[in-house]
Amino acid sequence: MNDVTISPSVPPTLSNALPPTVPLGEHPDDRLPITGPVSAIEAILRQPRRALYQLRATGARSVIASLFLVFVICALVYGVVVGTFSGGAQLWVAPAKIATGMLVSALICLPSLYIFSCLSGSQARLIEVVGLVSGLLGLTTILLIGFAPVAWVFSQSTSSVAVMGGLHLMFWTIATCFGWRFLRNGFAHLSAKSGGTLNVWIIIFVLVCMQMTTALRPIIGTSDRLLPAEKKFFLSHWLDTWKENTSVQRGTGTQR
Amino acid sequence: MSPPADALAPHALQQIPTLLRGEAAPIQSWIAKWSAARLGLYVAVILAGTAMFGAAVGSWRDPVQGIYTAIKFPLIVLLTTLGNGLLNGMLAPLLGTNISFRQSLVAILMSFTIAALVLGACSPLICFIIWNTPVLSAKTASSATTHSFILLTVVTVIALAGIAANVRLLQLLRQLNGSRSNARRTLFAWLAGNLLLGSQVSWILRPFIGSPSLPIQFLRDDPLRGNFFESVFRALQRLFS
Repeated sequence: MNDVTISPSVPPTLSNALPPTVPLGEHPDDRLPITGPVSAIEAILRQPRRALYQLRATGARSVIASLFLVFVICALVYGVVVGTFSGGAQLWVAPAKIATGMLVSALICLPSLYIFSCLSGSQARLIEVVGLVSGLLGLTTILLIGFAPVAWVFSQSTSSVAVMGGLHLMFWTIATCFGWRFLRNGFAHLSAKSGGTLNVWIIIFVLVCMQMTTALRPIIGTSDRLLPAEKKFFLSHWLDTWKENTSVQRGTGTQR
Repeated sequence: MSPPADALAPHALQQIPTLLRGEAAPIQSWIAKWSAARLGLYVAVILAGTAMFGAAVGSWRDPVQGIYTAIKFPLIVLLTTLGNGLLNGMLAPLLGTNISFRQSLVAILMSFTIAALVLGACSPLICFIIWNTPVLSAKTASSATTHSFILLTVVTVIALAGIAANVRLLQLLRQLNGSRSNARRTLFAWLAGNLLLGSQVSWILRPFIGSPSLPIQFLRDDPLRGNFFESVFRALQRLFS
């Protein structure tokens, strides 16, 4: 009789199932190079350890360029979806403002991220911090593309700027949470001992992005001007928009 | 592969991240070995970081005020360090941290370097906040509230920079004298002295933002009248009234 025992086939361990204590590069998947935007998208969604490892390797600049290209394209595409609410000039104004706004917000917050990461004990070099931020932006905008069909459906079925603003904000917040998780894991692998300073940074980044949406208004609605004449705090702007929406609804009693 | 931190040239910028991380071994070797080039690096970083922050703060009033404030912020740090240098050097051994005058000066400059780096890194954020606030004008009804908001934001950023710098200084003092209580006593004594002198130096060197009802000046006509703590209390009253 044969003594062959058939062992159950065990699938290989996924690299992103490994605990964070396992150094980057230990799993063979980590070392697969990222050759362009498509592999960058695959890595950042399915193999974040691979993305993190490649951001520390010698070809980091090309990985950063790929992630940046992914961010720009996805931000512009999502911006077009945002612009379909009002149509007309907003079809190009909204994408331009969203892409520019997110990029400028990241640039404003980048120096503080590098300093805070050093204060937390991280061994990250400046280029690695830039790579992690490009990963944050890339992952955020990739997920926004995932929400784009939902956003489009809602934008065709309501005329309320306040409702659409709230919806886009919710999608952006969810997407940013995943982006933040990528950034935080990146710093964990770069020996950051304390997450406190990095948590402060993400709060600053979120506040800057929210204020940027008000500084660059209107993104969803329409206006005669490209940029606002009046300077406003974002909470004050949201409150005014919500009050205006409520009074319009009371006046007409109908919705599109 | 980069060289170890304690093998870097005294003027090398690569030692700055090491300072921020608070790596014990290289920092202790820098304290032990006097180097004018390293001191020069710290002063240069203090000048750059605090000047950037000062320029951001002062630019809300006027670009000329931005230039004046960019000059005055570094002056506050350097005048406070030098003004209290003798006192800090004497207090350290009296409170159990047996270091020389030079070493106490280097330790304090290291902590101010960390603070200046945090201030410099936050200066784009301050610029962004100021860009989003109405121009400082006597005519706008909300200018007093806005002025108080900007003032308190600036104070908060300075406080965060101070906390980061002093956490590292405390760690360094613990490593130098091996006793937590001596390190804490020395730090608090230095802080008390620096706070007292620094706050009054900053009051004398006002304005940093300025008032729209007053002309743009490098120093007020009566620089020695009043003090820093009165000003913060009045700003809090205006914001919450």
